[in-house]
Amino acid sequence: MSSSPLPSLSTRPTPSPSSASPQPHRNPVSLRLYKVLGANFDDDATKEALNTLSELYPTTGTIKQIKQDGDLSSDSDSDSDWDGQDGQLKLPQLPPNSIISSERRVTTGTAALARKNLRRDIETKLAETSRMFVKAFGEVDQKLDSLQEHITAMRVQCDDAQAQLSSTNEACKSLLERAGNLREQRQAISTQQQILSLFLHRFTLTPSDISALTSRDVPLGKSFFEAMDKAVKIREDCRVLMGVGGEEGPSQVGLDILTTTSSHLEQAYEKIFRYLTTEFQNLMGRGGDRVDPDYAGSLEVTPIMREAVRRLRDRPELLAETLNTLSQSLSPTLLSSFLTALTRGGPGGVPRPIELHAHDPLRYVGDMMAWVHQAIAAEREFLESLFGLHEIKGAGGSSRGIDMVEEGEDERRMIGSVRKRQGIEEEWIGEVMDRCVGKLCGPLKVRVQQTVRSQESPIISYKIANLLQFYLVTMKRTIGEEAVLSKTLKEMTDISFKVFFDGIEAQGRALLRVTLDLDDPALTPPATVTEHIQTLREILSVYESSHLDDEHAVPVSSSNSSEPHVKDEQLLFGGVDRILDVMIDPAIEMCVAASEAKSRFRRGWDGKVFALNCLTYLQNVLESYPFAGNKRKMLDDVIEERVNDLIEEHYNNILADANLNNAAVACVTMAPGEKLSNIWATTPPILSGALSKFSEWLSGLEVVHSPRLAQLTAQRLHTRIHQAALERLANTYKLLCELVRKPENGYEAASTLLGSQRPFGQIHLLRQIFGLPDDDER
Amino acid sequence: MAINDYDADATELLETYDFLMKYIIIGEAGTGKSCLLHHFTHNSFKEHSQHTIGVEFSSRTVKLGEKRIKLQLWDTAGQERFRSVTRSYYRGAAGAILVYDITSRASFANLSRWLADARALGSPNLVVVLVGNKSDREDEREVEWAEASRWAADHDVHFLETSSLTGDNVEAPFLLCARSILLSIESGALDPEKAGSGVSYGDRALRRVNSSSRLSFGSLSVGRRNRGSTRLKLKDLVPGTSNSRCC
Repeated sequence: MSSSPLPSLSTRPTPSPSSASPQPHRNPVSLRLYKVLGANFDDDATKEALNTLSELYPTTGTIKQIKQDGDLSSDSDSDSDWDGQDGQLKLPQLPPNSIISSERRVTTGTAALARKNLRRDIETKLAETSRMFVKAFGEVDQKLDSLQEHITAMRVQCDDAQAQLSSTNEACKSLLERAGNLREQRQAISTQQQILSLFLHRFTLTPSDISALTSRDVPLGKSFFEAMDKAVKIREDCRVLMGVGGEEGPSQVGLDILTTTSSHLEQAYEKIFRYLTTEFQNLMGRGGDRVDPDYAGSLEVTPIMREAVRRLRDRPELLAETLNTLSQSLSPTLLSSFLTALTRGGPGGVPRPIELHAHDPLRYVGDMMAWVHQAIAAEREFLESLFGLHEIKGAGGSSRGIDMVEEGEDERRMIGSVRKRQGIEEEWIGEVMDRCVGKLCGPLKVRVQQTVRSQESPIISYKIANLLQFYLVTMKRTIGEEAVLSKTLKEMTDISFKVFFDGIEAQGRALLRVTLDLDDPALTPPATVTEHIQTLREILSVYESSHLDDEHAVPVSSSNSSEPHVKDEQLLFGGVDRILDVMIDPAIEMCVAASEAKSRFRRGWDGKVFALNCLTYLQNVLESYPFAGNKRKMLDDVIEERVNDLIEEHYNNILADANLNNAAVACVTMAPGEKLSNIWATTPPILSGALSKFSEWLSGLEVVHSPRLAQLTAQRLHTRIHQAALERLANTYKLLCELVRKPENGYEAASTLLGSQRPFGQIHLLRQIFGLPDDDER
Repeated sequence: MAINDYDADATELLETYDFLMKYIIIGEAGTGKSCLLHHFTHNSFKEHSQHTIGVEFSSRTVKLGEKRIKLQLWDTAGQERFRSVTRSYYRGAAGAILVYDITSRASFANLSRWLADARALGSPNLVVVLVGNKSDREDEREVEWAEASRWAADHDVHFLETSSLTGDNVEAPFLLCARSILLSIESGALDPEKAGSGVSYGDRALRRVNSSSRLSFGSLSVGRRNRGSTRLKLKDLVPGTSNSRCC
């Protein structure tokens, strides 16, 4: 604002010219003037107003022109005028001082004019401007009017539309409501549908399931079993559901589902039944075109078959029927295989037919039994596999290794082991086995019986009986005691034992009828007896060999297989005592009876020694068989009796030989109070003679050796009998000496009588001579 | 039961087999026949083994190359008193495992008689494997390996030593025997269709016969097993057994 001090400078002089004109007077007017002059117009508002004014009157000329023209219409002209004049005026306007000076110069003309016309000018200008306004606004007004018209028209339209809209809205409302309802309904229904389809999925079988279950075109397999599982599951679930909503009673749907599934299941079982029946019948077909004489068990079980059997267990009557078919198809195969093996052998005769060895009864029976045994093993394996009794083993992976060891004992189908596992499967298997194998019994029995009955040698029949016994015990464990084959085996075993016993009994009876050859002086057992005993020996060694282990077997607690075996055999074989009875008793009887008979006809033939020889022979035979203890004891008793007899007889004999018999009789028979010396036999002279003869006898051979007893084959008995007789002789001599020495017996020179001959009345001397232990020592 | 079992194509059915072979295990009493067999079928030593009474039966399926073979094993009693019984089981056997005890010369001395019996009564193509058992008791050895090997060569039988206590080599005789039989089938010397051969086709083989007449045994000697006993010359002949449970 460098110019600010200038206006103040300029204003002061400005009024001065104006005041100069009215001429100052020191009167109220002048005061007023002063006051007016003194008033400061230096404020912005005033300045601005002045500026505006100055613009209104830029130059006199201009104003004059305006005034003269009186016409403001051509703005452009005036503008151009203004511009031109501006250009002229520029220079004096630049410095404010110069403006003032120029104003001063022009003021003279225009200022007065301005002062005079200001109001008018302004009013004119105002009016002009107002006219312009009026004109302009008139146009605006016109425009606004037309706008107004448009708006009005628009409003009408809008109202119209609004009315239409609202009416439409009204109309739509019910529609929308309905749509909403429908939507809700649809939602509900789709939920229901979902539930229903889930329900159906869970509680009904798909058509493919149903066709798998019922159609004959779909073979049994994975899909079938799965469908079956599903049907069973549905029934279970259904029952659970019906149980839950139990108050209202079973729902119709539940009942329907149960009915449908049950009918499907029944059809499924029927289908399994048909399948198994066909399969089982095919087994026969397969066996039919190649009859395998070894019946190696070319039977195989597919997992489907096993599963089918497992499922059919729920319908025992159907299973029973299929098993019936199975046994019906198996048994002819088995039978024809057996007959082929018996009569034809393999093709080209290898292996040879079993009957080729019919002349060798043991081999014949053994081969037949082994064949049956092997057939049973194969069949058993097939059936166990069919019933899934033993899980797949053998080729299994290493992971099963440990399990297998644990189950091992059960799993191993040892023929010799007792079947512990019981259960419905065992029953089924047993039944089928029984029916199949039972068919073999006929031909088997005929052949075995024929063989057994045609045996003349009891040894062979005993061997056969033992063989049959062995198989009876062995197979009983596999097929059960009640099986037809077991019974047949039992029967055959019994028969062969009967044949055997009949044989040895007949032999015993024949032995009893034997008479001894009267001309034969021998005292040894006759050939008939030794032959008889030889048979016994062979029988016993058969017995021994088949029972050796059992007798010596240390019953290991863990071995459950051998214990019942021993028991069985002992139960059935208790017969060894019977064999001994049957064989030994007639021998004893025969020896005794025959010796007595012969003694009667042949003087000098020593029947007693002969009998004793025979008995000791029997005794010796039995000696080597520990199980023959009972019989040997009985024999020992018989021998003992006979030995005692012989001792008595021998004593009497040597008493007579020693010439002491009369004296001995006197000693024993003398009456109480009687004097011994008065009895004839013991009168001193007689007694003296007897004693001298006794002395002579003492020097003889018979003292140490009895010719008669030398005939005894048992040296032991010889010595024993002789010693016992001598003992008694010594005792008799002792008694005699004591009696002679007794004064009351009336011998005058008792010591002389006794001491004149050996043994000089000295008992110990006599005992020494006899070789007996000293009396005192005893 | 696994559902997969129904699906015959998806999994190999363990019970089906290509061949069924009948074996007999023979030899003197106490040589360890039953223990050897027990180890083979159960993969464990049989404790407190008693004398076998008559015969005992067991079976196992083995895999040889691509073939599954079911072995019917008849374990016989070695005692003399059972000879008449056990001999009846030789009939139509395809293989015989003839066992002796390396610690007992007596059990070796009678081998000829056993072999003669087996040859006379078994199948015409009987394959015999001589097994010296109890190889774990080297200290008490009475029969030298070389001697037995010579005997085997003289009598045209296979030979190896095993231990049914430790399980060493127990599978080898059975597999060797099976392989030998398979070879004679392949060469046409033995026809499983013929009865009395001791061998018959299983369902699995029959199926294959039906589908294609080719009956080759494929790779019989795949994956040889490395058994401990290096002196076993036949080792190379013993095919690997992928299903071997002990190793």
